[in-house]
Amino acid sequence: MKVALAQFSPCLGDIGKNLDFHLRTIEKARREKARLVVFPELSLSGYTLMDLVPEAALDPARDPSIKKLAAASRTIDIALGFVEEGGTGLFYNSAAYLSAGRIVHIQRKAFLPTGGMFEEAKFFAAGRSFRTFTTPFGKTGLLICRDFLSAGSSYALFSGGADIIIVISAAPGRGFAEGDAFASSRMWELMAEAVSFFSTAFVVYCNRVGFEDGKAFAGGSFVYGPSGRRLVKAREMEEELVLADLRLEDIRAARKKWTFLRDNRPEVVLRSLKGIVDALED
Amino acid sequence: MPLKINAAFVEKVLCAFIREELHKFGFRRGILGLSGGLDSSVCAALAARALGGKNVLGMIMPYKETFGRDVKDALALAKRLGMRTRLVDISPMVDAYFARYPTDNRVRVGNKMARERMSILYDQSVEEKALILGTSNKTELLIGYGTIHGDMACAINPMGDLYKTQVRALGRYLRLPAGILKKRPTAGLWPGQTDEGEIGLSYSELDTILYELVDERRSATEVIGLGHKKAVVEKIESLIVNSEFKRKMPPIAKISGRTVGHDFLYSYDRNR
Repeated sequence: MKVALAQFSPCLGDIGKNLDFHLRTIEKARREKARLVVFPELSLSGYTLMDLVPEAALDPARDPSIKKLAAASRTIDIALGFVEEGGTGLFYNSAAYLSAGRIVHIQRKAFLPTGGMFEEAKFFAAGRSFRTFTTPFGKTGLLICRDFLSAGSSYALFSGGADIIIVISAAPGRGFAEGDAFASSRMWELMAEAVSFFSTAFVVYCNRVGFEDGKAFAGGSFVYGPSGRRLVKAREMEEELVLADLRLEDIRAARKKWTFLRDNRPEVVLRSLKGIVDALED
Repeated sequence: MPLKINAAFVEKVLCAFIREELHKFGFRRGILGLSGGLDSSVCAALAARALGGKNVLGMIMPYKETFGRDVKDALALAKRLGMRTRLVDISPMVDAYFARYPTDNRVRVGNKMARERMSILYDQSVEEKALILGTSNKTELLIGYGTIHGDMACAINPMGDLYKTQVRALGRYLRLPAGILKKRPTAGLWPGQTDEGEIGLSYSELDTILYELVDERRSATEVIGLGHKKAVVEKIESLIVNSEFKRKMPPIAKISGRTVGHDFLYSYDRNR
């Protein structure tokens, strides 16, 4: 199954322009015979929206841009990011999975990075759950940027039987490292390597590029196979449509070898968490 | 080595920054003050790589013949980078002012010169249809070693997150002439002045301490514990604290419900 990662730089606050880019890229990915095209976090709107959040917000059930994208998903599946108005005046940093002409799943970002250079909780409401959904390629999970850096989100998707975990991201690069990358880029691969191996699932990560307010979104999108091996890696800092071949039979092969999924006991984890949550005090 | 940089990658990021910021705002050209010193030379080299040498204008703005060596170095560098230059002697404007308001305060004179250069840069940038590239580095920004609304004024600053020693490493990677790389850094406020003489510290020591205080967020006590002199660490800390005003927009007195600078919050790159 061929996947296309659209590593690009959205125009901040210009949904029309970004929609055109999405439609052109979807067509390009389709011509490359990709079955799924993945866009970065907030790909329809850009990232540093701040007070533009309400203006950029869409109701996915009614919005004409989402309708156009859903129509485009008749021939190729699409994952993308947008500002969702879910209930009047509640704005979420959301991701949508579109397939066969309709919205299959909407995922709201739950862990909003706020602190240092991040201010998401000032502008967005937080999502409350992680769950898998069914696509033509198996059980799929969708995570947004920082949500992937919480072990709990991947664990929830793993427990839900995820075969593919898609991560859409707007991760700014920072820190000096060896070679052609920011130090922070290692963090994403570290998590993806562990999650893909221990979940025996594919991890498909699409990060954006370009600058907003001097912050460089690092790119470096990648795919890890279900045995923890990196299959493809985009360059840092450059627009690129990256193609990767996912051999879906590798999921079964990994699970024959490593029985993490069979041996998983979410009820034990849930009971432990419940005990912890019940005992929480200020 | 905490101050070590991957220079090839840093060059790639900073060139992309210069190119993308200018293009997003509809500009093809950059303009900057070229002093013949390290920072403006590195910035010029980055700009020439990002935009093409012919799209970068180096403004050489000496005071009389005081820094003849620097003017020669600036001209030679510009030629090597394929940049255009324009030479404006700032002494008539500066002298006219101080003839009317005489002073023997060297800092006032130095600040006036820095602001004269800023004023010329902004004016020439209109004629040139160019954006001004700032050349302040992280060391200067943190200790406030720059003239507010003078050399600190710019449209975008590609080098503000690199310490002086890192700028030098980038300069070596960019193969700047040895004469520029080895030059004793100076703000050019008066002949014989050097940054290190005036600050009272070598850049290498200053940057190491700043790195611990700022990047590693260690307390002054912890940094002293690493083996740095108490008086030096305390001096640097007070320089940082007392120059906060140079790194901020002026505070706006809040009266209404929604106020510029408080809760009217948009990105610089809005709709870009």
